[in-house]
Amino acid sequence: MSDFTFATAQYDSGDWESAPLLPANVIDSIARYTSIDVAPTGVIVPLSAPALFRYPLVYLTGHLPVRFTAAERDNLRAFAERGGLLFVDDHNHDIDGVFHKTATEELTRVYGPLREIPNTHPLYRCFFTFEDGPPTTSHELNGWGDNLVHKTLSGAEHDGRLSLIYSSKDYSSEWNYHPDNKRFLSVDNTKFAVNLVVYALTR
Amino acid sequence: MPSRADHRRWAEWALRLALVIVLAVALWRSIRVVRPGAASVAARTSTLGEALHRATVTPRVGALDVDVDGAVPPLERQWLAALRRAGVRITWRGDVPAMALSVERAREPVARTRLRIVNESTAMVVLRDSVGVVDSVRAAKGATVEALDIVGRVTAQQARFAASSPVPARTDRRAVLVLGKAGWESRFVLAALGEAGWKVRGRLPVAPGVSVMDASVLPVDTARYDVVIALDSTAADLAPALVRFVAQGGGAILTGSALDVGALRGIAPAQAGARRAGRILLEGETLARADLPLRPLVARRDDAVPLERQPAGLAVAVRRAGRGRVAAVGYDESWRWRMQGGAAGVSAHRDWWSRMTGLVSPERMPVDEATAQSGGAAPRAALFATLGEPSGAPPPPESSSSSRLPLVLLVLVLVALLAETASRRFRGAS
Repeated sequence: MSDFTFATAQYDSGDWESAPLLPANVIDSIARYTSIDVAPTGVIVPLSAPALFRYPLVYLTGHLPVRFTAAERDNLRAFAERGGLLFVDDHNHDIDGVFHKTATEELTRVYGPLREIPNTHPLYRCFFTFEDGPPTTSHELNGWGDNLVHKTLSGAEHDGRLSLIYSSKDYSSEWNYHPDNKRFLSVDNTKFAVNLVVYALTR
Repeated sequence: MPSRADHRRWAEWALRLALVIVLAVALWRSIRVVRPGAASVAARTSTLGEALHRATVTPRVGALDVDVDGAVPPLERQWLAALRRAGVRITWRGDVPAMALSVERAREPVARTRLRIVNESTAMVVLRDSVGVVDSVRAAKGATVEALDIVGRVTAQQARFAASSPVPARTDRRAVLVLGKAGWESRFVLAALGEAGWKVRGRLPVAPGVSVMDASVLPVDTARYDVVIALDSTAADLAPALVRFVAQGGGAILTGSALDVGALRGIAPAQAGARRAGRILLEGETLARADLPLRPLVARRDDAVPLERQPAGLAVAVRRAGRGRVAAVGYDESWRWRMQGGAAGVSAHRDWWSRMTGLVSPERMPVDEATAQSGGAAPRAALFATLGEPSGAPPPPESSSSSRLPLVLLVLVLVALLAETASRRFRGAS
């Protein structure tokens, strides 16, 4: 049994499977940089299923409007209370987009108001160091989506630990490529994904 | 030949002589030096203080019999013991219930007080602390009561008898060091102990030469840590330090592959056997500790005490090593219990880990010898220990003839005086 399995959340509404290459790419980075015993393939876990509790770090993305069912909401609430961490990324990179508006509304119902995560947070230093907070994505620099470079991530805490990380930076596009193509990059842009996993496994 | 009048005069003289003799005896009795230890005193619990005082200041009291009909305070019990050592014969009787009370504080940051009471009868025992009633239990087979806010002195009362013991003071706990690889087990053990109030430090290797750890984790010694938890074989490089730590009085918990580390075998209570898969949950089921994957403990050492068994085998064992304690735990994925254990999983996981850590944590509170020996926690046992076995019946009253002598003397005086006076009246003398 591996120590870590990358899990993608499946929810009833929206397009939860919009970044199909991302799990393999993140798994590749975990294996490449760390000694964490990572499962070679990711899993898809329904937000409303008890199986959610087998994966304390879950990734959720999409472009379309998000409406959680009551079962999804209840499960997510219990997931946060027991120490699970949900990483949500807006695949639109658009704070005026439907995903951002509906997802943050739904997440607020479950987690309470989302707050800015300071750029001095251990999340940015637990493995690689990101002095300026969350690394900028090429999609932000290209002016796509909301044409903004988001300086911080937001989230929610439970018992002093992050239980939700919400990103408007579109890491879902940034990391959604085959791992073999990392060799064409001068700087690996998935390093922050390693921090996310290391943070979840150690804090 | 003497006349009848002569006989009467002689008789009168005989009576006067008897009167003088009796008065002389009474005078002698009143002024003689009484032999020490000749008298005995009987007392009940309510009058014991007065009797003890009398027995102490009166040399002629040589025996003291106590009818124990209520709780004998430790001071009076020790007083009785002192009198016995001074030569006074002490006997006691009474239906004192065989009851014992133990009050201990868990060696955890949020230190619950644990009351254990056992009683020979099925009668209701009322537990009180210095504030008020804590609980009422029947303790014929033993009973345990746990609470956070018990203060002062605890008393277990059954009818007029009571066992009592003070609540130990809280002691500050030192930090706990968690050694384990970056994974859910390390992360959730850290979380559980932190939530339980422990000061937790961790060293979690995530890559060769790279660890996520708190500042100033080393050195591992009892001045900094109460307990070190080695969750897997990543603790191997600190094994010699861990062995030293335990020898100095620190506590250690070894789980999973930490039990495979050769350098730790010298202190481990047992080895971990082949891994057994956990139970597969059906729809709607939640996970219990018994359902977890387990490496059953094997090759248990003779001095190791098994603490927890599951159908798959021994799950927890503990032993003393040097001045410290070491626990071996066969669970290496206890985090599943927290995440998949339903609504109660979080608290159950947290409490279990806190309790396990407290179990091996060193005792830092000095033992109060005076309290330990006061015997108030087990009144019947204390009476046996102090005074020996009870006597079945009260002792016979001392020298009944001598106690009746003043009455006999008085009757003799009256008879002699009346006879002598009547004799003189009848013969017309004045």
